[in-house]
Amino acid sequence: MANISVQNLVKKFDRANDKPLEVIGGLTFAVEDGEFVSILGPSGCGKSTLLSILAGLEPLSGGEIRVDGRPFQRDANAAKLGFVFQQPRLLNWRSVRRNVMLPLERGTFSKEEQQRLAGRYLDLVRLNGFEDYFPLQLSGGMQQRVAIARALVVEPDVLLMDEPFSSLDEINARKMRAELIRIWQETKKTVIFVTHDISEAVYLSNRLLVVTERPTRVFDTVEIDVRYPRDYDDDRLFELTKKVSRIFLRMEERHGH
Amino acid sequence: MHTTLKIYSLAVLLALWFGLSFVFSEHVLPGPLPVFAAIWDNLQSGDGFFHLYKTVSRVVFGLVLAMFLGTGFGLVMGLSRKGEKFFESWVMIGLTIPAVVYAIICLLWFGLNDFAAVIAIGVTAFPAVAINMWQGVKDIDMQLIAMGKAFQLPKTDLIRKIVLPQTVPYILAATRYALGISWKIATTVELIGMSSGVGYMLHYWFGLFSMTQVLAWTLSFILVLLFIEYVLINPFEKRATAWRPAVQV
Repeated sequence: MANISVQNLVKKFDRANDKPLEVIGGLTFAVEDGEFVSILGPSGCGKSTLLSILAGLEPLSGGEIRVDGRPFQRDANAAKLGFVFQQPRLLNWRSVRRNVMLPLERGTFSKEEQQRLAGRYLDLVRLNGFEDYFPLQLSGGMQQRVAIARALVVEPDVLLMDEPFSSLDEINARKMRAELIRIWQETKKTVIFVTHDISEAVYLSNRLLVVTERPTRVFDTVEIDVRYPRDYDDDRLFELTKKVSRIFLRMEERHGH
Repeated sequence: MHTTLKIYSLAVLLALWFGLSFVFSEHVLPGPLPVFAAIWDNLQSGDGFFHLYKTVSRVVFGLVLAMFLGTGFGLVMGLSRKGEKFFESWVMIGLTIPAVVYAIICLLWFGLNDFAAVIAIGVTAFPAVAINMWQGVKDIDMQLIAMGKAFQLPKTDLIRKIVLPQTVPYILAATRYALGISWKIATTVELIGMSSGVGYMLHYWFGLFSMTQVLAWTLSFILVLLFIEYVLINPFEKRATAWRPAVQV
């Protein structure tokens, strides 16, 4: 469990014959322990870059990230992060079980413990019975469940999700969202969920941050004060979706489109 | 279905050979029967096995050397841009030098022995392996690497568990290709400077103008290569790619 605070985060990419490209322009937000926060923004904004920075794949150009009050570092003692990407990114030549075991193999777990943990999280994502299947034998939604189990098996303090359901059809995406809420409530993880889908963000989150196009900043914050488990047809969610849509329109006007 | 077609195609080839052998004299194209009889005789005498064994062992050691060098260079070239720029010209030069030049150089340097043969085979075949591996590593899914990094896998794990498994199809293609090259260069080396092996026997029977024996030795080795392909490489390929669902056309 962990809380995260991002202070005035800046990310610039150097370009060959041009001034640096500012992708994130002073992003400030905080996520409470156990909170489900969505970062909602138009396609092509710095959302994925933000997750790459949190993953330690990209250095930040300015500002600060603190996890539980300590400067963020990705080393052995730091808070553990679990990742779910837009595509499942499974190793197709490994069985489902061995895919979930992958992040554990560098650690101190014995083979039996790895298998036990993998089994536990495959149960949680309701894939028991599919442990010995290969990823390409599963549907897209099931592959994404494997990816979620793989993210959870490291018992992360924070779960980072980058548009994980955007490649699924709407029916399957809805099922997966309901499953995600169930898993989140069972595991009490802090979740940062990146998406460009307004109704998805409204359905899932405690709170959502509407962020601007490049350079990305927080434009507005919306609290979703509706009890879980939620119903897609809930009028309050519908009203909030409309409200967020209006925020989006206002943002587009302000940013000259 | 596929097996039947393969057997059928071989039968057609054999029939064609049989038919043509009536058109030409036995000094130009002896028929399948005398050739297979010659193979049988060679094997009966024990000599046949000895020369086949010599060539096969040279090919195998040469192939191992080529795979080792080629995989190493291919990995470096595929994984690092600097490595690619640095070794690209080496591999291209290596590829353009005719095989017979390697054979001559190795025989002059190391003498008329098996060591020279193995080195010549390995050095000739390695650029092709390197190119295959280089392309294979470049085709690797970078998103999987990013996934591995996000889960903080150490570099050795990234290579062993994410990079290498993706190159298995390329390793297999490289092995097949290198096997073909190795056998050709092996016969060349044996023809120039060895006193054993299939190449040596080809040279010997060439001196005696025996077309039947030349074909018999060539065919013997083709059978050995087919054995390697269908009994060793094919089953391995089936097992290594079992995770891929069968393509239904």
